[in-house]
Amino acid sequence: MAGIENEMTSILEAHNVTREYQMKAENVRALSEVSLAIERGEFVAILGTSGSGKSTLLNLFGGLDRPTGGEILFDGKSLAPLSSWEMSRYRLHSVGMIFQSFNLIPTMTARDNVSLALAFAGISQSDRRKRSLELLDRVGLANRADHLPSELSGGEQQRVGIARAIANEPQVLLADEPTGNLDSSRSAEVIGLLDEMRRRDGKTIVLITHDQELASRYATKVVRLKDGRVMKGGL
Amino acid sequence: MNFADIIALALRNLRQAKLRTALTVIGVVVGIAAIITMVSFGIGLQQNIIAQAFSRLDAFTSITVLGADADDLLAMSEGRTANNDGEDGEDGEDASKPEAGSTAPMANAASGSATPETEASPANGAPVRPRRVLDDTTIAEIKKLDGVKFAAPILTFNCYTRFNERTRFQTIAGATAGSDPHFKNFLAGANFNDENANEAVINESFLNSFSPEAFRRRRNRRGGPPNGGNGGPFQTVSTKSDEERQRDAQAAIGKEITLLTLPGADGGQSSIFGIPLLSQSGSPGSQNEQGDDSRYEKRAFRIVGVLKNEGGVNISPFGNANLYVPMEQAKRLRDANLSPIERMGDALTGQSGYRAVELRVADPSRIKPVTAKLEQLGFRAFSVTNQLEEIERIFLIINSSLALLGGIALLVASFGISNTMIMSIRERTREIGVMKAIGGSDGEIMRIFFVEASLIGLLGGTLGVMAGWLIDRVANVLANQWITRQTGQAVRHVEFFSIPWYLWGGAILFAVVVSLLAAIYPALHAAKVDPIKALRHE
Repeated sequence: MAGIENEMTSILEAHNVTREYQMKAENVRALSEVSLAIERGEFVAILGTSGSGKSTLLNLFGGLDRPTGGEILFDGKSLAPLSSWEMSRYRLHSVGMIFQSFNLIPTMTARDNVSLALAFAGISQSDRRKRSLELLDRVGLANRADHLPSELSGGEQQRVGIARAIANEPQVLLADEPTGNLDSSRSAEVIGLLDEMRRRDGKTIVLITHDQELASRYATKVVRLKDGRVMKGGL
Repeated sequence: MNFADIIALALRNLRQAKLRTALTVIGVVVGIAAIITMVSFGIGLQQNIIAQAFSRLDAFTSITVLGADADDLLAMSEGRTANNDGEDGEDGEDASKPEAGSTAPMANAASGSATPETEASPANGAPVRPRRVLDDTTIAEIKKLDGVKFAAPILTFNCYTRFNERTRFQTIAGATAGSDPHFKNFLAGANFNDENANEAVINESFLNSFSPEAFRRRRNRRGGPPNGGNGGPFQTVSTKSDEERQRDAQAAIGKEITLLTLPGADGGQSSIFGIPLLSQSGSPGSQNEQGDDSRYEKRAFRIVGVLKNEGGVNISPFGNANLYVPMEQAKRLRDANLSPIERMGDALTGQSGYRAVELRVADPSRIKPVTAKLEQLGFRAFSVTNQLEEIERIFLIINSSLALLGGIALLVASFGISNTMIMSIRERTREIGVMKAIGGSDGEIMRIFFVEASLIGLLGGTLGVMAGWLIDRVANVLANQWITRQTGQAVRHVEFFSIPWYLWGGAILFAVVVSLLAAIYPALHAAKVDPIKALRHE
């Protein structure tokens, strides 16, 4: 897989990406001609105040949304021509998303939450049982597998979220303020885990945060957004 | 995501809102139960009429030939058909020539429009074709037709009958000696030995209606029908065990039945239906009256056979007859017991004959050729096979209307399903968003909700079928009890409902299909959930 060409292309690229929303009569520009390249194995921290467009950018990278102008490239290929079904496969296999509010399904155990992502990939029930436990073990939660999210601490819930995000072996992890709801020591744990995944498994991490200190500690590259424009770290 | 996973997810969703799911399912149950109950009643009715009653008459091998009535005979005596004039007269005559030689003289006189061509064209406006008189000569002729196995007149009459020292007004039918196809199950004894024997075959219900209990009951029910011991179209049945029935039947063999008719009844003015007019000394019907019945001619018949009561609804051509005498005897007795109207008909036409002849063909495939041949010969013949198609068409309409009524309940339930699904999607918007974000496709999300709806339909449909079955059982017991109360005696159990496999199978399938239709809008709605909006922080 890791051919020479792959080495040369960025894993994620944004070319003149604009995202506008129609709000009543006026157009709101969440992103304005953003150009950005994220290389394989990088830990990119995107910093910005709320309303700077950083979540919008992450949703575009995550394939949850499409730009109104410009294009997103994954591994050198544009996401624009993908059908809705192909986009869902992209979300399933190519990127893993981690959310501030964890977004675990509250009525499913930790294990079932991880299993769900495997089920969408069509993995058999018996393989899922094994894989989900392995994944929870990787985030240090093997002993909490049969607990509901409500029975887990915030840090534990976020680790389940990470296990779910890496379930289908994506190359990129997109984390939208994953520590926003956690205290500082839990935050350090979670970010440390992400960094470990980058070092050990070669994952590319895109982290949205407004924690300057955290960004400078782990990030290999910092991108600063303001009012939908790249202030620093763009192309 | 494979299908098993989708089912597991859908089941999980349903379990999470147990009360809401249960209420939605109940809606479907009510709709399906209504359809099942209504349609099973229609089908039950159909089966009672077609399967039970007709098969007892050997419907598929039986043809009834109708005799001439006064209209036909009048037309015949004038040498033309009743409304056959000018325009189609000519070609009618032409067409009739080839068959003229082969048909009996009576048919020749009547053959103006008797050709298949004229009959087949409805444009001629149903020509009234005289029928031939049914007498022993014509019956002999019919018997000779290819494929005809049996032919005998349908002959019934009413007269006072004495048995066990009790007298009742009875319907009596003539039957042929040897192997009469009407007699199938003898509880005891056998058929008559010859057409002139002073022998009788009775039905089990004859014994019941002459039992002391029946008479006691009748006395207590003043103003009841003359043969109050009878269950009408429903076969009365004793509460006796099989052994007791056998024993009673055996005991009846050899006993004597006396028929009371007026002597030399030749159209005499002094009786109606064989009863002396009221000015005379009262009917012999009052059971305790031992006195003056010396004016009656008594004919004694020895019981040689007792027939078993058959289940189901009785629509025998013999009506309520449960006493049979040999055909020749029946002819004599019938002449003596003709009603004034019948007598008048005969007098007017100067003809007499049987009103109808029943014949049996060797196998069902002979029905059509034999019927055609009979019509060619100038008889009016019909078989229930023809009627069957008509009856089935009528029942299709009846059953469809009943299903439609039940379907209204299901329609209401389908709105319930839609509502439940929409509620469920509202509550689970975030969950849908998560599923999409981690790689669920629109199609998979949609499928989860379709499967959820069809599970509601499947469960509701299955429970609905069971509920419908339960309602049928209860209604059936109540209906039978009601009949028993109305008729005043135990009636053979009638099955009013029928749930064939295609009814319950179809009902469940229908429930699933309706549920799926109800889920279309909610499922599309779920597929369109925008994950970004759904996942926006709380």
